[in-house]
Amino acid sequence: MSDTRPTYAQLLETNNLMQNCGDATYWLCLTRTVQGSKLFPVSPYILLSYLNAFYRYPTLLKKIEARMPAEEIADRARNMGMKITNSALGWALPNFYLLGRELLLSLGFLRPQDALEDVVYVMGFWKRYLLSWHRNDGHITNREYGNRAQILPDRRLEVFHKDLYECRPGDPLHEAAHTFLATVSQYGFLVSCESRISLTNSGPYRVDDRHQLVVRDFMDLAECSLPWLDGVARDVPYNYLTVPTLVRDCNFRLVDDWGSFEATPEFTAEHLAGIGLYTSDALSEGFLPVGMGSAEELTDTFNSLNAVFKQATNKLWLRIAGWTRDQMIDAGALTYYNIIKDLAHVAGVFEVKDWLEIDPRAERFRPLLNDEFSNQILGSLVVGLDLPNHRQSPYQMMQYSDGASRVYTPLPYSVLAGDPYVPGVGPIQNGASHLDPKEDRYRTTAGVLTLEEYNRRAREFKPALCEDRYRFLCETWVKYNYRTPLADDLYRLEQRQSRTMKDKGAGRRDT
Amino acid sequence: MAGLYVDDDRYGGSPNSLLVEAVRNACLDLVRRKLDESGDDWASFVFGSSERLITTADFVAVERRILDSGYRFDWSAVISQRERPDAYKVPEGIAGDVSSFSFEHPEAIVGEADAAGRTQRGLGDNVVQKSVNVAGTARYVRSSEQVIALMQSGVPAGTIAIIDDSGGTLTAPVLEHFAGIVCAGGTVRSHLGILAREYGIPCLMNARISGICDGDRVEIEATAEATTGEAYFGGKAKPARIWKIER
Repeated sequence: MSDTRPTYAQLLETNNLMQNCGDATYWLCLTRTVQGSKLFPVSPYILLSYLNAFYRYPTLLKKIEARMPAEEIADRARNMGMKITNSALGWALPNFYLLGRELLLSLGFLRPQDALEDVVYVMGFWKRYLLSWHRNDGHITNREYGNRAQILPDRRLEVFHKDLYECRPGDPLHEAAHTFLATVSQYGFLVSCESRISLTNSGPYRVDDRHQLVVRDFMDLAECSLPWLDGVARDVPYNYLTVPTLVRDCNFRLVDDWGSFEATPEFTAEHLAGIGLYTSDALSEGFLPVGMGSAEELTDTFNSLNAVFKQATNKLWLRIAGWTRDQMIDAGALTYYNIIKDLAHVAGVFEVKDWLEIDPRAERFRPLLNDEFSNQILGSLVVGLDLPNHRQSPYQMMQYSDGASRVYTPLPYSVLAGDPYVPGVGPIQNGASHLDPKEDRYRTTAGVLTLEEYNRRAREFKPALCEDRYRFLCETWVKYNYRTPLADDLYRLEQRQSRTMKDKGAGRRDT
Repeated sequence: MAGLYVDDDRYGGSPNSLLVEAVRNACLDLVRRKLDESGDDWASFVFGSSERLITTADFVAVERRILDSGYRFDWSAVISQRERPDAYKVPEGIAGDVSSFSFEHPEAIVGEADAAGRTQRGLGDNVVQKSVNVAGTARYVRSSEQVIALMQSGVPAGTIAIIDDSGGTLTAPVLEHFAGIVCAGGTVRSHLGILAREYGIPCLMNARISGICDGDRVEIEATAEATTGEAYFGGKAKPARIWKIER
């Protein structure tokens, strides 16, 4: 046991964060999807990922924070489209970890007070990160904001909006963009082993009474820290693509913490009214335009990428179709577990042994993970809530369900009165994987790099917009200081690569 | 034998699933036994000696006891059954001659032939409302071998894929060539539904159908109102019809 027990305030806050995560998880899993796959053993790999997260996240998050605090990484996240937004950070980070804890509790491997300091730390990391990432909308999650994610600052939205190209059904850009979005979405599901975590959306942002802007991100597309893309994705020129999408006569009534949206009427191709294309990563000065010189160039770029992604889809699918069940489970489990790995890329501390291996403490459970047991206990963990650890006083009425249950077991306050507890799970252990080893090739905006080079450059790099001089120039400050040279500098930095806004500066914005 | 902290639970009960209950009970017994064996207190055991004493072999033994009882697991992924046919139930309509196979949902609503020679064979949730219905030839697509065959031969024009995989990966290389999709699972928010919407392919999810075989001519009511997430939550989904065209 550690010398200093968490305080009452820390436990109160941690339990609040856990409860909110539990309510969000129940609602998301109940209303957003029923998932299944004849190709991947999805539930088995999900459970394995939860266990891996429980045993490894505390150590790895501390390793990341030793280089860069959570809230500083989140400042970076607002200025690019890496996999450190939703669903990775908004939902997966705490919930994968907590669902691993709850699974172990249900099987008798833990008491509620075990790994107590780990839980406090992981939830604290998540809170600091999300408060920073959501700085502009002032919430902690999309759910708290009524399922909205208005993450980006005015200066970036202005560039996205002014630079996008209008399109209408029937014109070449519309056709190319629509086809590209379908193809890259499908590729993303395959890359992520039947999960949606290569895709996310933020917004909506109001443009006018008929138009809203949704920012769509597609992540882990090229040779990157997912070893099954080695070779098959060699021709994919960008690992992250961001697509600002202008939508006409469609109200995005919901953008959830999984990065999924719902619109009224349904968002279909005929509502697509304008589009742009960007890339970014831990080494880029924010968002870099891709093929944005003209509408014709953008059309050609979408068509070219469409062909590249179709070819990569077929190659990857054939690779996966030849896998063993253990390989499928490992790929899926690692996709889920390492959903937060880009934190390590930004901090420049990514290591294969940290993010591409299954910890032996999780691995030993594999024989239990047949399809039927996995489906049933996963259903119990997220929606059924029928395991003994879920049940609480019959007087209780859970949010959404009214049932006398809850998703996560709170930390017991009795530890403050002297009850013994175990602070944490300890360091990560040497793991393994059934997959081919990761080749030392990482596609970045600075070219294809070795991991050592990628980490080194990431450690040495800080985007200009994240320098101390600009970091805290928030939307409130801009509102009252837009005439100052500093505000002009800030906006000019954002506008450096804009075809329509370059050097226009802060200027007055009439609303 | 040692007692566990979670043994005394004022509100606890049994899981709804008998399989989950059996596995859980076996795990609890395992932890109790290993705690005794360790001679440690819980604090030393939980992230200490338990990691050495509770191994893969113990979980293999848990599964073996279940299988020795004659129980066989339901499978979700084809590969699970294929690699361990001894552990999973026998599949139907996946391999061999599947020409007479059909999904048979117990709640499928079927009807008499109408004036156009169409017989209703079930209902499904429409992903996106279209201006016209779509008709074509039903083709079951349920395994990677079937997908590879379609990759090699090309997807015949007018194929209505009959699928029980609500995911978007099994059919990834061929999905965009389907004229329509009928999925016997999932919801309109499942990955297959999302991709069908992106590609603009008429698609019914959560289809409850009966009596549709490979090669049958079918029509799906793509003009029906789209099903929304709220409709699911409020139990107000308005399903679309699926017909078999008899002549």
